Amino acid sequence: MTAPVDAVERTVRDEFARVVATLARVTGDVGLAEDATQEAVVRALQVWPRDGVPEQPRAWLTTVARRCAIDRIRRESQREGKEAEAVWLLDPDPTPPPESVVRDDVLRLVFTCCHPALSAQAQVALSLRTLGGLTTAEVARALLISEATAAKRLTRAKQKIADAHIPYRVPSDVELPARLKGVLATVYLIFNEGYAPSAGDCVVRQDLVDEALRLGRLLHDLMPDEPGVIGLLALMLLLDCRRTTRVAPDGTALRLVDQNRGAWDARMAAEGVTLVAEGVRRTPTLPDPYVVQAAIAGCHALAPSYQETDWDAIISWYDVLLLVSDTPAARLGRASAIAERDGPAAGLAAVLAVEGLDHHAWWHGSRAELLHRLGRDQEARAARDEADRLGLNTPALRSLDASLSRPASP
Amino acid sequence: MPQYAALIWSTDLEPSDPAFAAMMPRYDAFTHEAEAVIRGGAALYNNATATTVRVQGGKGGDVVTTDGPYADTKEALTGFFLVEAADLDEAVTWASKIPAAWDGSGCVEVRPVLDVG
Repeated sequence: MTAPVDAVERTVRDEFARVVATLARVTGDVGLAEDATQEAVVRALQVWPRDGVPEQPRAWLTTVARRCAIDRIRRESQREGKEAEAVWLLDPDPTPPPESVVRDDVLRLVFTCCHPALSAQAQVALSLRTLGGLTTAEVARALLISEATAAKRLTRAKQKIADAHIPYRVPSDVELPARLKGVLATVYLIFNEGYAPSAGDCVVRQDLVDEALRLGRLLHDLMPDEPGVIGLLALMLLLDCRRTTRVAPDGTALRLVDQNRGAWDARMAAEGVTLVAEGVRRTPTLPDPYVVQAAIAGCHALAPSYQETDWDAIISWYDVLLLVSDTPAARLGRASAIAERDGPAAGLAAVLAVEGLDHHAWWHGSRAELLHRLGRDQEARAARDEADRLGLNTPALRSLDASLSRPASP
Repeated sequence: MPQYAALIWSTDLEPSDPAFAAMMPRYDAFTHEAEAVIRGGAALYNNATATTVRVQGGKGGDVVTTDGPYADTKEALTGFFLVEAADLDEAVTWASKIPAAWDGSGCVEVRPVLDVG
């Protein structure tokens, strides 16, 4: 029985983190676990398309990876003239660990890959590689860096995990909230780089968005009761449900008002809204910032048209957001909502009141749009040029230029 | 059990500075609290006492000394502790209790000790 290569690759990717996590527990060495798993994956990609995917792919991969790990430890110890310490790895018991053990292992791996002693860049690369199962070449493509740079970044991170003894452990209850925040930030960073790339000509990089969603689902599977995990998954679903409508055929970014809502993915939106409700229910007094941002995205998803958007509700949610996480970006979002509800003059006043964003291209972009709507075209041009100078990416700039060339309609 | 060096980067104080004496009880309290894990350490004289040494032309060549520390940074290397910890998290927990990490005088750099034995 043969298997299509696509299906094989998907299975391998889905199981990657679980196999690494099991091996990391057995060997106590995340780097070794990952190298051994990669070796097993290479064999699977050779054998499975020909012979079919085994009934228990994870057990197959784990067994092969375990053997590869033993080989590696033996080679290493021969080279160093030491006794092999891996004898205990030669567990003849082929029973794969039960699902609950595997889940705990993966959870530990999540916290190792997103350990605050690693740089954000390293956490992103490791998450994509180890948790997402991307190859080094795929990590390089995802992060728009060379394969050599990606390899170096991953090697350094794994070296630090080993040398500095970064633990393979779920943080204690006391540490958990702060550590979980770091994990969520890493996944959201990956999502944002896909949803609104900071560089390049693409409006959206769906491959990265899909990776972030897979990681979000993994976290939700591991920690279904954590409001932040629920909120982040909801937020990503509610933003990405617009996936097919955000880019015009000519490659320009389409603003919310110009998107075809009928083509939004209703299933993703429904799943997101359900999660928001759950997230709010779990933290009624002090909602998690991701839940609140998801609620705002949910208001858009539920509005039948742009004109029928409930701006009062959106502004109220922004007020909640400022309460739990007061950032310039949140203030700018609130100011844009004010502009929609109360008109461009009120919106501009609100945008100008946001401090700390004058080095930020998006702030000048918002300013340009509102100045144009107020008929102050000369100032609008200047703001547009400032946004360009500060590196507004090409699709967003084209979209801004398109609205500046339309007649002002306050 | 792994060992970590906790390098203390903090305000460069002369031992005669009243601030130095004021700081001592904080460090005494820490060394008392961390007694079980401290494997070594020292407080260092200020930057002005440092001499940087290089030998020109390889081993046995001319010894060139310069006055002052190797790195002239705002915060000076003022001391270090050697602590034993199960992993980085535990080492960081101990490092965070060193006064320089919390009293506004600087920060603590944690480095795993390389076992060359």
